[in-house]
Amino acid sequence: MNTSPIESWEGAEAYFTYADKPAIMMLFLLLAVAITFGTIIIAAVHEKHAYNEH
Amino acid sequence: MEQELAALTERLAALESSTAMSGTINSEIFYWWCTALMIAIHAGFLAYEMGASRVKNVLASGIKNILAFAFMVPTFYFFGWYIYLSFYNGLLPAEDATGIFWAAFTLFAATTASIFSGAVIERIQTAGFLILAILLGSVVWILGGAWGWHPTGWLTVKFGYHDVGAAGVVHMVAGFFALGVLINLGPRVGKFNADGSANAIFAHNIPFTITGLMLIIVGFFGFLGGCIIYMPGEQWINIYGQPTTLSAFAFNTLMGMAGGIIGAWVKTRDPFWMMSGALIGIFAAASGLDVYYPPVAFVLGTFGGFVVPMVAVWLEKVGIDDAVGAFPVHGIGGLIGVVSCGVFASGYPNVDGMPPVSLWGQIVGAVTMAVLGFVPGYVVSFVLNAVGLLRVPDHIQEKGLDIVKVPVSAYPENYTPGPVNVATPGSVAASPAE
Repeated sequence: MNTSPIESWEGAEAYFTYADKPAIMMLFLLLAVAITFGTIIIAAVHEKHAYNEH
Repeated sequence: MEQELAALTERLAALESSTAMSGTINSEIFYWWCTALMIAIHAGFLAYEMGASRVKNVLASGIKNILAFAFMVPTFYFFGWYIYLSFYNGLLPAEDATGIFWAAFTLFAATTASIFSGAVIERIQTAGFLILAILLGSVVWILGGAWGWHPTGWLTVKFGYHDVGAAGVVHMVAGFFALGVLINLGPRVGKFNADGSANAIFAHNIPFTITGLMLIIVGFFGFLGGCIIYMPGEQWINIYGQPTTLSAFAFNTLMGMAGGIIGAWVKTRDPFWMMSGALIGIFAAASGLDVYYPPVAFVLGTFGGFVVPMVAVWLEKVGIDDAVGAFPVHGIGGLIGVVSCGVFASGYPNVDGMPPVSLWGQIVGAVTMAVLGFVPGYVVSFVLNAVGLLRVPDHIQEKGLDIVKVPVSAYPENYTPGPVNVATPGSVAASPAE
């Protein structure tokens, strides 16, 4: 995909795809936040459902 | 001659560069293994909580503990580390920065969440627990860390607060947070009778619980190692910038631990409390691990190990069901540690003209940590309770959490739990601390 902004090992400190695109990085960050806090909502729904079944 | 000098200069520069890189790598290796050892704390709490649960709740307790670890990592990445680096003046951000201690501090956060996790086993909802664990691990304790476990925290700068082993910023905050939650969460079904008398709810596997506690001790050597600043090529310093040595930490951690075991054994004869006493002993000496004469740490540990089980008895008498003694062990153990430092290390000088250690400064720090832990725990759990996200319904508690929400069984084929798992008052070892 040729997404790396790094073309040489000289001075390179890290490599990851889309590192040169702040919007994509923000998207990943928001996705991580959504997964973290969305899971808590899913946990609440799952528990209510389990309690109602019993 | 000039060529030789140039060659020597070049070699010297290369040597300096190599030494600097070795120092950086050694420093990172040190904190890497501190972090790895701290995972043993979480493993220990996992065993401890599962062992302390009844058979019908073993896996639900385990799941809760594992999730606390999992949620602490991203949330500490999102905002916990930022709070530590930015809120040392109080509640207003001072600066934005980053650092190499993130992983170690994340494990400190996981430790606070685990401390709280044990207190609430067998009757807290997962969603409510996760919200509270994130609040404690990625907001509350690290705010206390910014105030009192930071070279320019306001408690340090204004009061000379000294807490190198985090007796206040980790243990008091977590213990008092747990107390605030327990008040709203209420006891496990069957814990108390109508007349207010308490029943003993027996752990299903005491040996597993004791082994877990020993594993926590192992992990605390990583925790306390992470409390020291590795300065490549220079003397170790504590988190306030004062010189220290690993030797001081080693002497006083072990002496405090041993004293705690002995104190708890004399008081209770109970192996559960003996190993809890080991933790109490470490916390009782934790604030001054860098400065104490080792017999002082031993005496403090013995005192803590003897006294704290009595707090557990008192807590039960006032109607609070702290399933693993989190508030007495961490809240009161940490309190002993913070205040003792004001008595036995009073006058110890600080760096950069900051006030020396004093009893007044330690008392201010202790009150701050107690309030910082208790108020958010109480308020947020009150709200969660009001919206039905805190307590598992009583009929579900009676049935058991595993069968209701866990798809596998802890002991599927060869273990049949007995019919009685709640004892009447005074039947057998009604309270290990009595």
